[in-house]
Amino acid sequence: MVLNIQHFCTHDGPGMRTTVFLKGCTLRCKWCSNPESIHPRPELAYNPAKCIGRTECGFCLPKCPEHAIFSTDPDLKVRINWTLCTNCSQCVSACPPGALSLFGHELTVEEVLAEVEQDSPFYRESGGGITLSGGECQLQPDFAAALLEEARHRGMNTAIETAFNVPWENVEKVLPHVDVCLHDHKISDPERHRKWCGADNRRIQENQKRAYETFPGVKFIARTPLIPGVNDDEAHIRAVLAFIRPHPNVIDYELLPYFRFGESKYGFLGRVYELEDFQPPSEELLARLRAIIDEAFGRATAITRKTQP
Amino acid sequence: MTRIAIHLDGGYVPGLNTVIHGAVRAAAGLGWEVIGLHDGFDGLLFPERYPEGGTIPLTPRHVEPLSNASGCLLGTAPHADPFRVQQLKADAAVCETDRSDELLAWATKSGIEAVISVADSHALGGLWKLERRGLRTLSVPQSPENDIAATDLAFGFSSVLDFTVDILERAREAAAAAGRIGVVEVPGLYAGWLALQSAIAVGADAALLPEIRYDLSRVAEHLSRRLPASRGHGLVVVAEGSTPLETSETPGPAHFLKSSLSPGATGPAGARIHVGRGQSAKTVAEGLQRRLNHTTQALDLGRIALAGPPSSIDRQLGMSYGAAAVQAVQQGRTGSLMAFQAPHLDCVPLEQAVNRHRTIQKDCAWVQVARSLGICLGD
Repeated sequence: MVLNIQHFCTHDGPGMRTTVFLKGCTLRCKWCSNPESIHPRPELAYNPAKCIGRTECGFCLPKCPEHAIFSTDPDLKVRINWTLCTNCSQCVSACPPGALSLFGHELTVEEVLAEVEQDSPFYRESGGGITLSGGECQLQPDFAAALLEEARHRGMNTAIETAFNVPWENVEKVLPHVDVCLHDHKISDPERHRKWCGADNRRIQENQKRAYETFPGVKFIARTPLIPGVNDDEAHIRAVLAFIRPHPNVIDYELLPYFRFGESKYGFLGRVYELEDFQPPSEELLARLRAIIDEAFGRATAITRKTQP
Repeated sequence: MTRIAIHLDGGYVPGLNTVIHGAVRAAAGLGWEVIGLHDGFDGLLFPERYPEGGTIPLTPRHVEPLSNASGCLLGTAPHADPFRVQQLKADAAVCETDRSDELLAWATKSGIEAVISVADSHALGGLWKLERRGLRTLSVPQSPENDIAATDLAFGFSSVLDFTVDILERAREAAAAAGRIGVVEVPGLYAGWLALQSAIAVGADAALLPEIRYDLSRVAEHLSRRLPASRGHGLVVVAEGSTPLETSETPGPAHFLKSSLSPGATGPAGARIHVGRGQSAKTVAEGLQRRLNHTTQALDLGRIALAGPPSSIDRQLGMSYGAAAVQAVQQGRTGSLMAFQAPHLDCVPLEQAVNRHRTIQKDCAWVQVARSLGICLGD
């Protein structure tokens, strides 16, 4: 179940990369910037800006078996009652302007690679390749492993972005085919991790430690999405450093400053964005936390922004 | 003995206890047993979170002392959806599961005749779905914005209106003292009743509503006429969901986009953007300051407006809604929504309120009153 394939990404591993977003996630981080990637099945998305209204069109209204599409607006655009919508997608084909669409498609390894290989000249130049992101790409271990194995066979550098909240068997299947593993250290305290991400971090940390030890050939890059008042404190950064520094294959630790690009997508999906009052972290704070990481690694650490699907 | 359950399926409004009180007293009069469910359906779905049990037997002795107090006995459940309950599975994965069957099984097993739900407009869709699955429900409309279709007065609106009027008076005094134009944002995402009625109550200079897209130049022109040099202050009431006419006057920068359950939310290029709380007031305040030779000051009432003690209207409305809901159950009229259509308190089929909002019609009496009072509506 693939959500999207995004070309020319520069923040998801070395060089120019193509990122393949897989759908489905085992966490519910309140700051999630890719909310359309959370649900494991295809989901309806509605962009009212594209709706031409019930008088001109209105074909979707009788299509919905759940009565989830309605229209009361003065501007006559349809609305979705998300409580009633079951993502059956019958309305999508009835929407000529494409205001109703589906997030998520079933693709084969070959179909994905055909799309990805369009960019291959760029990888050769830049040392880039393919990155599997999500969602949680290790939730579809067989597909991810097959895709990465074949990509590597075709000479691409392979990377994944993962939160590691998956059974260890999945990790064992996927990581042998990975060159670079970008992984999150969201919050150190298990209870706080549970509050903000929906599940605690015990299995995540077990998997991380075991992965560092089991796959010495994989380059690991630790990352923290920096959320104001949640994990933007020195104690967390130092705790992560203490966790990763004993492992020489963890080559870097990046901070991803919280940003709000994901917010509008919550509306398309009829979800509530809970961090509306949060502001992105300040440059000063970033610089101070970066300095702590620099000191631990003895070099400069880049600040990057996570790519959007 | 007949058993019914009661719960609060939606966010907080003042005086929710009075509805519970009304229902429990009316049920006691019939010799019925009433069970209260904590936090929407959470008391049933997550009993482990409640050491003293997720349900609580309610008798008049329990609820009488609470009736007029603010706070609420059972706990609310904003944005709850029993069809998509977020859960942590044994393998540490988070997922959403449909647990509606458990609610149906519980109702059958416990011999529950009907569930009385004090529901906001978001919750009505879920209740309708449960009803179609076979759960007998009776909904009492509660809404601080009075935006529930089929009823003229939802529970909670009167108290919120009282508080809003009180704050607007204070905001005007403060604006007068400072020689500024106060811009106050009040709840109202789909319907501008609160903004319109409170603006009429205090005689504000302008009221901007979700139903009428506003043109800030018109508002500025109106204010400049009303605010001669001798009177350097004014008051503008802005509903949370008000939208500018010009798409270029998109409220707030793009990264302030707040999505919502709102089917009205849309992308950066779209016209109906639901921005974060407080952004509508900021946009209007900044826009007016740019156009006028006055200083403006934005204030957002936010969730504070939804707290506090109930008004006398809500007290009697709550008791009445509660008692009438029990009567409706007795008459076998489940699957309905209680509706106050003056002077009647009756019930209507639930589908009359699902997928609808009670919005302000442009030619309604309130709009005409506002215009005759010289309140600019932004058009």
